[in-house]
Order: sequence, then C-alpha cells, then structure tokens
Amino acid sequence: MKTDIVQLFENPYLALGVSIAIIMAYLSVNAIMLIWLERKLSARIQRRIGPQRGPFGLMQQIFDMGKLLSKELLTPEHANKLLYVIAPILVFAPVVALSSLFPITSTYIFHDFNIAIVLILAISGINVIGIFLAGWGSNNKYALLGAVRSVAQNISYEIPLILSVIPIVMITRTMSLYDITLAQETYPFILVQPIALIIFIISATAETNRAPFDIPEAESELVAGFHTEYSGMRFGLFFFAEYSNMIFACALATVLFLGGWRGPLLPDAVWFFIKVYALIVLMMWFRWTFPRLRFDQLMKFAWVVLVPLSLINLLITTLVLKIV
Amino acid sequence: MALIKEILDGTKTLLTGMKVTLDNFRKPPVTSQYPMEKIEMSEAFRNVIVLIEKEDIGSHDCIDCKLCERVCPSFCIYLDGERPEGLRRKRSTKFEVDFALCSDCGLCLDVCPTDTLGYSKVHDEAGYNRSDFLYDLLEPWADKEEAARERLKEIEAEQAAERARKAAARKAKKVRREK
Amino acid sequence: MNRFEVEQDPKSRDTYYLNMGPQHPSTHGVMRIKLHLDGERIISAEPIIGYGHRAHEKMAENRDYIQFLPNPSRVDYLGGMIYNVGYCQAVERAMDIEVPERAEYIRIVCNELNRISSHLLWLGTFLMDLGAFTPFLYAFDDREKILDILDRITGSRLTYCYARFGGVILDIDDVFLDNVSNFCTYFVERLKEYEKLVIGNVIFRERTIGVGIFAPDLAQKYAITGPCLRAMGHENDVRKDEPYGIYDRFDFDVPTQTEGDCFARTLVRMEEMRQSIRIIEQAVSDMPNGLFLAARVPRRIRPPEGDYYFCVESPRGSFGMYIASDGSDIPFRLKLRTPSFSHISAMPAVMASTMLADAVAILGSIDIVVPEIDR
Repeated sequence: MKTDIVQLFENPYLALGVSIAIIMAYLSVNAIMLIWLERKLSARIQRRIGPQRGPFGLMQQIFDMGKLLSKELLTPEHANKLLYVIAPILVFAPVVALSSLFPITSTYIFHDFNIAIVLILAISGINVIGIFLAGWGSNNKYALLGAVRSVAQNISYEIPLILSVIPIVMITRTMSLYDITLAQETYPFILVQPIALIIFIISATAETNRAPFDIPEAESELVAGFHTEYSGMRFGLFFFAEYSNMIFACALATVLFLGGWRGPLLPDAVWFFIKVYALIVLMMWFRWTFPRLRFDQLMKFAWVVLVPLSLINLLITTLVLKIV
Repeated sequence: MALIKEILDGTKTLLTGMKVTLDNFRKPPVTSQYPMEKIEMSEAFRNVIVLIEKEDIGSHDCIDCKLCERVCPSFCIYLDGERPEGLRRKRSTKFEVDFALCSDCGLCLDVCPTDTLGYSKVHDEAGYNRSDFLYDLLEPWADKEEAARERLKEIEAEQAAERARKAAARKAKKVRREK
Repeated sequence: MNRFEVEQDPKSRDTYYLNMGPQHPSTHGVMRIKLHLDGERIISAEPIIGYGHRAHEKMAENRDYIQFLPNPSRVDYLGGMIYNVGYCQAVERAMDIEVPERAEYIRIVCNELNRISSHLLWLGTFLMDLGAFTPFLYAFDDREKILDILDRITGSRLTYCYARFGGVILDIDDVFLDNVSNFCTYFVERLKEYEKLVIGNVIFRERTIGVGIFAPDLAQKYAITGPCLRAMGHENDVRKDEPYGIYDRFDFDVPTQTEGDCFARTLVRMEEMRQSIRIIEQAVSDMPNGLFLAARVPRRIRPPEGDYYFCVESPRGSFGMYIASDGSDIPFRLKLRTPSFSHISAMPAVMASTMLADAVAILGSIDIVVPEIDR
C-alpha cells in the first residue's frame, strides 16, 4: 500500500516546502557525489589516481564547493543583466520541480500524479530556455553559438525521447510512474522494449548535453559554450544542473524500463538507486571513451536514425498490442 | 538495409572502444605522486652548473679562463679572477650564473679545460623572483679557498720541480750527446 | 579582400566574424584565426601569426655556429631532437666533418624515438580537439616512457641539446638499448589498442573522413610536405628521397594514403610510428662500438664561403636550413624553413566552406606547432 508523503501534511504549502527542501538537499549532495564519482571514474579509465584530499578524495568536492561559493559573481559589462542572472536558475528549476514524482519505494512516495509523464516531458523542456537565455544574455559569440546549438539539439532529441516513452504508456495504459512500476511486476520492460531503452539512453545523453553529444559546451571549439561567461556559484548551478539532469534522466529510465524499485532481497530504495547509478556510470563511461560528434552529424543522427527507429518501434508495439 | 548495417557496424566499433577503456580501467594507475614520492634523476640530468671538486686540490679548479663565459649562448655566466701571489695559475674570484637565462645546453662543460664544471643534482629548486636564480658558484668553496691555494702552491712547486728535473735531465742528455 | 573569401553582399548582416584565439583551447598555443562565419559554416578563415615570434633567425646572425646549438630544438619543441641533430648535420655537411658510425646510429635511434613521441602528442591533442579526453592521457603516458628513455642520456626531456658537431655529447649504454628494445615491443602492442580505440571508432571516422581535404594543386602552391603530403598520395620523405645521416641503410616504408583528408593524415601518422619502430629495431641490433664524438673536430666552426641548404624529415614535414656563410664563424644568414608555416598558409584554402567544428579538426590534424610557425 502506498502513502503520499505530501498527504501526510495538512497544509499543502508546508508539504511543498518540506519536499522541496528534501529534494534540494538530495540533489546537492548527489551532484557533489556524482562529480566525485566522475572524477574518480575518469581517473581510473585514464590510469590516473584522481582527487585524493580526504578519505577517497571525497573532501576535494567540499573544497571545490567552497571555492565556487566564495568566488565573486562577475557579470560581463554588456550582458543583459536580468537574463544573465535568471538563466542558471531556470536551468536548475525543472529538475527540482520534477524530482518529487519518482516512486523511490513501494510504500512512501512524495507525490503520485496520474499524468506524471506528460508533466515530466513538458517541464523538462524548460531548461533549454535557460540555456538559451544564458547564451544570449552573456553577450559573447561563443556563448551564443553554444546556446543555438543547444536549442537545436534539445529540440531534435526531445522527439525520439518522447517516441521511446510512448510504447511504455501504451503497454501499461497509465501515465503514473507508480503504476508503471507496478506493471513491471513479472518482468521489467527492458525485455520487451530494448530498442526503446537504447533510444531513450541516447536521447537522454543528448538532452543532458553530455559527451559524445556535448557540442553546446564543446570546449575545444567553443571554449565553454553557453556558460563561457559564468563564474562562481552561477557556474556552479550549471554544473549542478548537468548532474541533476543526469540523475533525473537515469531515474526516468529506471522507472520506465528497469522496473523501478523492484528487485530481490534488498530494500526498495536501494534497488532503485543501484539501477540509477548503474545507468549514470554507463553515461560517464560513454563520455570518457568517445570523441564528440559534429553539429550537423548530431542532427542527422537524430532525424535520420533515431526518429525513424523509434517510429518503427512504436508501430511494432502497436501491432503486437493489437494482436495480443 | 545499408543504413541498418551501418548502424550495427558503428555500434560494434563503439563497443570495441568501450572495451579498451574498460581494460584500462582494470589496470593500476601510472601516476607517480611527485612531491611525496622521490623521483630518481638520471645521471645526465641537467640543471644549473656547479663547480666540481678536484681531489688533488681539495677544491674546484676554475682558472678563470673565461672560455665558458665566451661560449655561453645566453650570456649568463659572469666570471672574474685574480692571479694569487706565488701561483702560476689564476683563481676565479667571482663565478656567477644567472640560471633564469640558462638554456641547459651544456656548451660550457664542453669547453672547460680543467673539467671542473658539472651539473647540480638538485632538481626542485624554486624562487620567488629572478634574483633567486642568480647562483654564486664559489660560495660553497669559499672556506676551502685558502687551503686550496696552499695546496695548489705545493702542487705547482712539485710540478716546477718536476719540470726542472726534466729540463736538467734533458740538458744532461744533450751534454752527453754532444760529448 | 582575401582571395578565398566568398562574394558577399556587403549589406548582408547574416554573417559575422569570430576570433579563434589568440587564447583558445584548440589553437595549440598563441595563434589567432579570424573566422568569417555564416552560422556554423566558415566563409573564410585567415590565420594571424606572430604572437610567439622569438627571432631565432636573427639570433643566428649574432652568435657563432656553436652558440646556435640550443636554438633549433626550441624552434619545434616536439621534435627537438630531430631539429637539434639536423642543425648539426647541416653544419657537418658544410664543413665536411666526419661523424663516427656509433654516433650516427645513436642519432637515428634518438631521432626516431623523438618522432614517435611527437606523433603521440599529436594523437593525443588531435583527439582532444575532437572531444575525446582519454586517448590524450594514454598518449601522454606512452610519450612519458620515451622521454624517460631519452632523459637518461640527453639530460633533457623536451628541448634537447644532445648532438654536437661530429657526434653526440654522451655515450649510450646497454641499459639504454634495453630500454629502447623493451619500449619497441611494448609499443607495437599498444598501437593496436590505439587503433581499436580511435581509428575504428565510428564517431572518429564521421568526424575525419572527407573533412579538410587538401586539394591536389595545394601541394605545390603551398609546399606541403611530410605526413600531409603523404596523405595526398605522394610518396615523399626526405629520409628516402635524399637520405641524410645513414637513413639509406635502413629498411622502412613510406606510408601513403590518397584521400588527403584528416583521416588519411591520421592513418599515415599511425603507420609512420610503426615504421619508426622498425628503424629503431634495426639500428639497435646493428649498433656498432666506437667513438660517439669525432676525435678531430675543428675548434672553430667556419664553413667555407658559400650557400648551403640541408633538410631533414621532421615529424611535421621537411625542415630545411639555409646557411649563407661568409667564411667567418658567424652565419651571415640562417633561414629556417619550417613545415608548419607552409601548412598554416594553406589553411584559408582548406578551411573555406567547412563547419566550425571542422576547423578545429583540421588544425589538429595537420599537427601545427605554433612556435615553429612564428620561429
């Protein structure tokens, strides 16, 4: 039997505040840990040692956070102040807003929403606006180029992403993430929808602007892309947003394809996070292995390969469902 | 169909690449933790030049010939010397190297007639400004200079005696031949 | 107006200029490329050089031949040994100085080790430009092994001053030869790993095949040499065409490709590393005993009056030294012909109508060394 944490409180605003606080706390710690994980992982892949301050180099992230927080917030002279300041917040906000929807355990969830998937797909698109404002507001050609690339990329990859989610909705006939997890009682959907999972992972990597699809911030071409002009904690927010987006995308993939909290022996939440972090490690592994695609090849890949593939997958799913 | 084959082949190459990185992930790191871990410098390691001790003299044997000063491409050696009383050879009284200008080419070692130049083995010197790299090579030898000069006097006296003996021998030979 | 510039309506406001450099992650030093862009497409590119000019040629006119010894390795810090040895060989040829056999063999081993280390650094930075971080570290790890080997005898790791007129400054020992042989066996295996990780990779192929093609007429127009020329299908290698030192005694191939694009240049360089290993293995097994520095080297280096030209195969192409001697011990003029300078001059023609990301790939693939361009 499930219980919504939000419904435990009588005052809905208090419930909102508490859940946002918990989620923010989780996301910050998670981002710090993911940065640590990425640095350690890349170090081992490249046969280095990686950060070493404190036990297992964990303190390094704390020090880096301290550095980012204590740095002066510079605003470029001819930047559009308003856009420049709100951009990092806009990039970070959707993740915070949507993280409450995930069913981490079978008993307690923050909030079960019956059109959760529509909500997720709709709101997660907002961070593109943030990235574009960052590029436009900083009044820098590199930043603008990065922003333009980012918008084109995110819009192209949103389509295969959505198309790979639809088969799941068709199979389960529900849009609630909790019910989707329940529907995977006998087998996770990776077994029936492997192509959809692959498309989802590829599109999610592109959505989160990570290598090999990191062209909006391609450092060898665009210096740092859309966040060229950002420093201090504003830059830190972009950084946080990247890792929060990662965990968001991987959590979605876990719920849709890997059976969410389901798993033997271990508690629900543990299984959920094992699956999420396994996917994250996979994404990191991509990043430290592959070169970057070129902008036009990236678009071509989305429209010529991924979209037809996901449409075919959708068609097959429809036919199978109709017959069965 | 061609497209599908292309995709499959491409995926295969990507997986091969991921296997390479995975193999390297399993191997131990190659990093050497430099400041904590001492690194052995090679025999030929080049750093700032130093004056080498000559065993028979008990000090360096710089005779202020100024060859190194002349050959230095960076003009970073400054030499000065005097001829001590009672000695045939000169002794340097100033030997400064501006290491900030030095390019470690080793030409000064090549030209040194007494082979008294060598490389310092200290590899981790650092400084806060340029003048920290102005090395006075005579400084470590300052307290030995007096003794060295005395020793040199003896050596030169011996050498002079040897020369005189040889000259006498030659003369005697000559005289014998004439007879 | 640049002759490669596409005709543009001056009132058109759809295009813009982008300064790539002087400080930019992928210009490999201080160099500026003025890009005229239409969105992401390059209309024209104009390299602006000179930020790292150090007047090496003028310095040569103010010091004698011996004093110029440390300079050539600073001209190109990645192929320092080859430049250093090349300068000595140029003066030796002008003066007819005999070099002992052993010294010649030592020079060959060091030259080819240096060539591999330069190509490794190119591989790493090229892939870094393409966005792959990991091969960069792998290449540096292997390069470090070479530097350690060379460090043992030359005393330097980057800017060598090891060769002297008539030989080399320090003799090698058995440990050095063992190290070299071990490295050779290790590196042949390692190259296969690089090929799996890089050459086979579909993303890498997408990024490089058909990108940055040197049109056939460019080779003559801009005096393209080295791997860039070999990637266009010309079997041109100074080591084979006019062998200097004792390169004519070794059995090695000159790898060529026909496409002239970034991928062809990559393949040529990868194969060149393999050929270098072949040369090193032959040189190590034939290493004779004897002097490492000629016993009778003239004390004053005074090439007879006249003009001398000597070129060597550097990792980037043909590096030439033109010495005009007036019979004194100071060169009247010493012109350095550096391959990167020729290659960067061809950039406007190669980069026109490519994408911004391709510009980075092209720059990386021709393996420019900015101090070599500026000298």
